[in-house]
Amino acid sequence: MALSVLVFWLLALVSILGALGVVVARNPIHSAIGLVLSFLNVAAIYLVARAEFLAVVQVIVYAGAVIVLVVFVTMLVHPDDLPEFHGRRPLRVATGLILGIALLAEVTAAILARGLRGAPGPWTEETVAAVGGNTSALGQVLYSEFMLPIQLTAVLLLAATIGAIVLARPEAVSERLAVARRLLTISLAHPRGLDQPEPPLALPAGRDERVKPAGGGRPIVLARSADEFTERPAWGEWRPR
Amino acid sequence: MSELSATHFLLLSAALFIIGMVGVLTRRNVLVIFMCIELMLNAVNVSLIGFAWELHQLTGQVFALFVIAIAAAEAVVGLGIVMALTRRADTVDIDELRQLRE
Amino acid sequence: MDWQRLLVSYLVGFVLLNVLLGLMAYMTWFERRVLARLQHRVGPNRTGPFGLLQPIADGIKLLAKEDIVPANADRLVFLVAPLLSFALAPLGAAVIPFGETLHLFGVDVPLLVADINVAVLYVLALGSVGVYGIILGGYASGNRYSLLGALRSTAQVISYELVLGLSLVGVLILSGSLSLQDILREQQRTLVIGPLTLPNWYILSQPLAFALFLIAAVAETNRAPFDLPEAETELVAGYFTEYSGFRFSFYFLAEYINMIVVSLLAATLFLGGIDGPIADGVWWLALKALFFLFFYVWLRATLPRFRYDQLMGLAWKVLLPLALLNIALTGLVRLWGIGAL
Repeated sequence: MALSVLVFWLLALVSILGALGVVVARNPIHSAIGLVLSFLNVAAIYLVARAEFLAVVQVIVYAGAVIVLVVFVTMLVHPDDLPEFHGRRPLRVATGLILGIALLAEVTAAILARGLRGAPGPWTEETVAAVGGNTSALGQVLYSEFMLPIQLTAVLLLAATIGAIVLARPEAVSERLAVARRLLTISLAHPRGLDQPEPPLALPAGRDERVKPAGGGRPIVLARSADEFTERPAWGEWRPR
Repeated sequence: MSELSATHFLLLSAALFIIGMVGVLTRRNVLVIFMCIELMLNAVNVSLIGFAWELHQLTGQVFALFVIAIAAAEAVVGLGIVMALTRRADTVDIDELRQLRE
Repeated sequence: MDWQRLLVSYLVGFVLLNVLLGLMAYMTWFERRVLARLQHRVGPNRTGPFGLLQPIADGIKLLAKEDIVPANADRLVFLVAPLLSFALAPLGAAVIPFGETLHLFGVDVPLLVADINVAVLYVLALGSVGVYGIILGGYASGNRYSLLGALRSTAQVISYELVLGLSLVGVLILSGSLSLQDILREQQRTLVIGPLTLPNWYILSQPLAFALFLIAAVAETNRAPFDLPEAETELVAGYFTEYSGFRFSFYFLAEYINMIVVSLLAATLFLGGIDGPIADGVWWLALKALFFLFFYVWLRATLPRFRYDQLMGLAWKVLLPLALLNIALTGLVRLWGIGAL
């Protein structure tokens, strides 16, 4: 058995284990770790297949950008209350497993019985080395034969960016304003931002002329000294009496 | 099977694709389903690279590159949808997100 | 595969790793001494001559400390995350050329571990995977402050990595290669502008890219004034709040190794690496890298920390458009062949 086959199976084994981890793990963060493991091993397999540029792109785009984004959203969305902690659907799991195993058996049989072989192309190791490595060769093909598709990909990415901004935008105008105010006043990650409910402002009777409306819904109260409004402490938690 | 050929790549690709498919069919968390879709896209790339390597072609690598670009676009839009969904329905459970059916 | 070559590059890598670990320990000493000078203090000077044994004492102290795991931590991830950060940090140095090929005992010894033809992208890929150490550590601590620190840090690192990558495109256009050795070879040529004869260092032809790279590199390594992930005053030290003992030191040391690797990279990409006025060699690289390391400390002593929205605004609204402008200009110059570039 050639050394490259051994290396291939080793990498393939780890990447399949990572993929199984994605499906089995209950915590989505653990799933993401399994996915990264799988992707990194697949990148190494690309190296075995002499596709250096794609291996690096795989690491940068998949492992470095897409999965980081997924982890990011996972952390923002419900870190405690996850659906799988309330149990799985046994019927669905059984159906999925049976279908999966049947399909796997079928596809494996088809691959092993594969008789059709394509005609070899011009890019052997020598010709790739002659134009200056995998990256140069890929660039030459990409920017001659595939000029239109790559321009279209650029348009697609732009459309996706705009779509994501539209989707992630808060829906109601008031909510959008609240977000803008939060961004402009306190740093993004302040533990007690302005999104907390406004504590009821207790004002001394008969002194309403000192309360002036200000932009953003929170009134400005003019006071001569800090002790004038003892109902609302300057520091510490607000407790309604 | 003692020499490395596209068959090896195809077997790995099939295994990864089917694991991803089983994940999509069985999991309840939208985010995990999303990861499984990424896994399936990646599995397709493996077979493309395998063919490119066996046949001394670069077209397979170019296709894989496009798949990666499209997967990135899909990730951005998909995660945007998940964010919007959780803001509206406050859950990531696929079984509870059934407004379109009712 | 040629076994002899594999063995040689393995040995070179082994030596490099050990040198890097030693340097990293003394980087902490260097930073504390220089920072003390800049702040009109003395700095550590009791342990050994000039306090030179201080890093060793610190190391022993950190190793002897208790390794605490919080009760509601995600245990396995918590234990592994710092190792991930630490293990990925020195890998970037593997593609940096430290000199011409040596001939020892009849064997060619290239003074770099791996001459891969996608070296620049490889370094960027390492940076993007290095985020996981931070984000997983912050998540696994089971602590709000750590989680927020991790989220901040991830957003910051992703944004600035974009700038870092795009700032290098100008250099790649001019050199026409992704291999650091080719980039270095390009820079060893001379540039003649009228009466002046200058080295073809890319800091001269790509000053904007150099400035962008420097800013992005400081942000990428989470150093002041971009050290928001570990802002003591707001986040109680951010993603590594819950870490103690040698796991804490792993995060700490990974940061220093990253600084050294980025300094070496900046020296190689923009300042001609081992190229010098007289007697080319690894000492020139060391000198240039030392300047960048001093620059790091200098920045920390001089500038206050950015606010979070300022930080993100700077990356997306200022640095990114400038990087794109630089690419467009470089492309046009390259297309029309203006000057002797």
